Amino acid sequence: MLNFKITRRAFLQASAATTAAAAASPKLLRAMETELGGKDFNPVGYSERKAIPITCHVCNIQDGALAYVENGRIVKLEGNPEHVSTRGRLCAKGNSGMWYSYDPDRILYPLKRVGARGEGKWKRITWDEALTEIAQKLDAALKQDPNSIMLKYGRNRSGGVVDRFMNTLGSATVMNHTSVCESSKKVGMEPTWGPDIETPDFANAKYILNFGSNIMEAAYFHNPYSQRLADGMADNKAKLVTFDVRLSNTAGRSDEWIPVFPGTDGAVALALGHVILRDDLQDSDFIETWTNVTVAELKEHYQQFTPEWAEKLSGVPAATIERIAREFATTKPATTYTYRGPAKHLYGSYNEKATMMLPIMTGNIEVRGGYCMPRGMGWPQPQPEPPKPAKPSWIADHPDYPLAHHKVSHLTPFWIAEGKQKINVYFSYQDNAVYTNPGSDAVWGKLYRDEKLIPFYVCMTPFMGEEATLADIILPDCPYLERWEPESMPNSLWPWLGIRQPVIKSLGESRENRIMMRDIIHKLDPDGKRGMKKYWDFKDGEDYMRHHFDNVPGLKEAGGLNFLKKHGVWPIYGKLDPATGKIVDKTGREIQPEYGLHKKELSAADMTGAVVEKNGAIMKNGKAVGVQRKGKNYAGFPTHDRIINVRVDEWAEYGFNPMPTFKQIPWHRTMRDDEMILTTYKINVHKQSRTSAVKWLAEIMHSNPVWLNTETGKKLGIKTGDLVRVESAVGYLVTKAYVFEGIHPKVAAISTAFGHWAYGRLAQLKLKTEKGGAWGAQDDPDLNNVWWEDKGVHPNQIIPVVADPIGGSQGWYDTVVKVTKAGPNDKYGDVKASWEKHVEAFKETMRYAYTGDLHRKMHPEMASWGGPGSVKHKEGGGH
Amino acid sequence: MQNQNAVLIEPMEDSLSPLELRARAGYYQLLAGAFAEEPGCDYLAALRAPEAMAALVDLGFQFDADFTGVPLDELQDTLACEYATLFTTSGGCPPVESSRLTGRFQQEPFHDVKAIYQHCGFALQPGKFAVFEDQLGVELSFVAALLENQAAALESGDMATVKRLEKEVKRFWATHLGRWVRGYATLLARATEHSFYREIARLLRDFAEAELALLKVRVDDVDGGREVVPKSEIEVLFNPDEPVCGGCEHGKTQNGAYA
Repeated sequence: MLNFKITRRAFLQASAATTAAAAASPKLLRAMETELGGKDFNPVGYSERKAIPITCHVCNIQDGALAYVENGRIVKLEGNPEHVSTRGRLCAKGNSGMWYSYDPDRILYPLKRVGARGEGKWKRITWDEALTEIAQKLDAALKQDPNSIMLKYGRNRSGGVVDRFMNTLGSATVMNHTSVCESSKKVGMEPTWGPDIETPDFANAKYILNFGSNIMEAAYFHNPYSQRLADGMADNKAKLVTFDVRLSNTAGRSDEWIPVFPGTDGAVALALGHVILRDDLQDSDFIETWTNVTVAELKEHYQQFTPEWAEKLSGVPAATIERIAREFATTKPATTYTYRGPAKHLYGSYNEKATMMLPIMTGNIEVRGGYCMPRGMGWPQPQPEPPKPAKPSWIADHPDYPLAHHKVSHLTPFWIAEGKQKINVYFSYQDNAVYTNPGSDAVWGKLYRDEKLIPFYVCMTPFMGEEATLADIILPDCPYLERWEPESMPNSLWPWLGIRQPVIKSLGESRENRIMMRDIIHKLDPDGKRGMKKYWDFKDGEDYMRHHFDNVPGLKEAGGLNFLKKHGVWPIYGKLDPATGKIVDKTGREIQPEYGLHKKELSAADMTGAVVEKNGAIMKNGKAVGVQRKGKNYAGFPTHDRIINVRVDEWAEYGFNPMPTFKQIPWHRTMRDDEMILTTYKINVHKQSRTSAVKWLAEIMHSNPVWLNTETGKKLGIKTGDLVRVESAVGYLVTKAYVFEGIHPKVAAISTAFGHWAYGRLAQLKLKTEKGGAWGAQDDPDLNNVWWEDKGVHPNQIIPVVADPIGGSQGWYDTVVKVTKAGPNDKYGDVKASWEKHVEAFKETMRYAYTGDLHRKMHPEMASWGGPGSVKHKEGGGH
Repeated sequence: MQNQNAVLIEPMEDSLSPLELRARAGYYQLLAGAFAEEPGCDYLAALRAPEAMAALVDLGFQFDADFTGVPLDELQDTLACEYATLFTTSGGCPPVESSRLTGRFQQEPFHDVKAIYQHCGFALQPGKFAVFEDQLGVELSFVAALLENQAAALESGDMATVKRLEKEVKRFWATHLGRWVRGYATLLARATEHSFYREIARLLRDFAEAELALLKVRVDDVDGGREVVPKSEIEVLFNPDEPVCGGCEHGKTQNGAYA
């Protein structure tokens, strides 16, 4: 034993003297917690768990993720550190994804309705029985009219399978969900610069103007963008200014939150542009080189949009507009970002266009820290492919909305009810329109219940959502952890390809989308005589993926699908630095994206056979492939003439203003003092409709009181917790109030995701009221701890349809409501709405279409337009 | 988690005869037939046969006219709908151990029973529908098969196998069936709207009690579906609200001192 005698002073002195030696000695242990994922261990036996890379699909951000599997069970989900966009991070929703697979309310077998629609009586049938019945109905429908077969999809990430299915059947009646999502944003942008979305370089920006997007909590690309936004604000000292009707979590973390009156973001953006142009702060060179207008034209056009004019509309002080305009124009680089805030209004496309003009006029396009084009990657489709349907579909290519290339799906029930298109067989795929659409059960529930309008309804879903309860046959789809899908999303400035692959074998008899659709086609065309079967010649999901990925240049050399199975994403740009959380190259420097895509010069080969037109457009084979500017041949922007179209001539053909403009919503102008505007929003732990049955998320948030401003509450005599009635022109609901400062005084806000009347025991809190719904759950006592009694109230039934006559979007944030204290007979959760009143709203919104009687009234500046008769309906493009 | 529940296995006093083992196996198989999938015509016809009905009535199980008084095809159809409502659609009570004890499908019990089946030389074969290994019908069929094997071993004098299989059955009750079927049966009896499942649920519960007594396995049923009887309805020989002893201040002040 050592006889180690030492004084404390000598001990400390010796310690100081030996510090260098201590530092130089080898370190053989490291704390595992300093790693940013990629590995996981059993907490008891310490054995390493199998990590399978996937692309998350709880919501639609498409984060790179890893699923850890132990003894055949998914035990944990976390971010994939090799994924360039999400850099190893996954949100609360993504961490909870395994609940989808293991949900005890999941549908595992084909079910056939045996009672009246919606009665809840079912019989389990075999796949063969289900496919036989479906094939019989399809056969009859095909004999009548292929377009009488309709498919409406919601969250479709099948990578082309749904279109293949409908093209095989020869039907063009395919409806998406984009008009309840963001179609007017897309249509506001596409004719101007090509892409339907921007990719803001938040991490390198110095100034960010955010119009109505909740980037840090729930917006499109929330995970990768909130990371970049945090990088920009922390590392780059970027200033974030948020215009929003509500103090969202993003507004709350902004340098400035500027409340605006709903639907007036466009007016504010135009006034900001007015100041920039008036004070000569624009980037004239960019405007003259890359747009189809001159600076002089722009200055003249913007003269009308004064800050004082915008103040009257939006409530934003003119002085604030003046200041923000100067800050934005003089701080470089800068970017804007929008999502649904400006776009989900009657004239949402105009609003979107107005906001994107700010980075355009200040030359912040495709620069580091600016407003960039999206970077994505594609993949080839398995061959042969079925041809496009021979005949257009009336409802999918609606003549009254020729510019709404992403369709106007939320008006579908009214058009079917009007008899515009006969439907014989209706498929829904991951689309709970009865819950998610305006009018909700009062509109879509009414449609689905009516067997004359929808004689046969097949619902492809893993869960008994509100729509599934009304189906004739339910086909059990797989949740995302059990299926193959190709992926690519422009959710950062680095393009990538990814996959979703099954982590476990699908439960019960559920089948993934491409297998389900293949089996329907094979049943319909068993011997191939109809010419359909040849388009569905693949063994399984993995085989289908090989057709997608094994021949993509670059990926092929890396190993094709095998590479993606191992890594989940391609390419791997670098390594995740645990100290910074950023992707670094071999030298330890953060990887940098490529900027200036429009300034990529065309090669001699590209120019062979090309002709340069007077306006600089480089034409080849009848198509613009680039643009000549200052003697150089550039790729330009993906528009018809390869430059930015500030003036969109196509809009003028239909009597819309081709230049940036703003239209006040007429019924907002005539609002009474006691009226407000209802707005909806999304929170960080839920998506719109499919997360309320996830225990971990439902426990965090399960109810949605209506937000009211303190001043409004005082005026109405309402305080937090009071029961209130919120009444619109089409119905009313009864909910609780939450009164605070964080909302515009003229706005009432109710979040989505709650108030389900289907979707399983937890979403409905059925386990508390129904005898069969109780969980056993002794081995997971947490499940017995469903302590909440409130499932929230869903607002969509009282929201009438509004359609942007340009982009086709639903005006989610346009509903005028009256909020009053609940009456003696009102009960929490009451929701009443009328189909007839919704029909009136539909008729009213059709008046704003270019064929409607209000169109010209709303566009006095287009007095010289020749009217609807002067234009010929063009075939819809679609994107 | 399973270790937290009380389990006591005592040796059985007597081994049973092959006849008794097969009789027990028959009950297991009878019950399995109600859960494995929608009851078929043959199964229902056999159950509705006068001698079978009489035997069940003797045991105290009384089926209503909705079972005894309707044409067989109609009964099968009705029970297929009831099966779907109870077991295969949203909001029901799937007869699946993982679902009952963990609130999710395909959790530890699923993997555990799968390993047990494999260890005992069994594998799940495809039926009309794919089912989980820890589905009640499969678990009951498994014990039925063990008992059949045990009977055969007894007949051939292979006592080592008899003892081994006896232990397997006991262990399976202690670690699986005994932990959830009684509670589940009480839930099912409450949830169903058809006398077939009500009586089958009662038979399941009573049979489970009898089997546990016979096997001398004492295990807590931890399924949350077990009936919670209000205190007021419990007949006890002592006051359940009184403290265990009179030693604490609470007991003295609230209820007076009790020795």
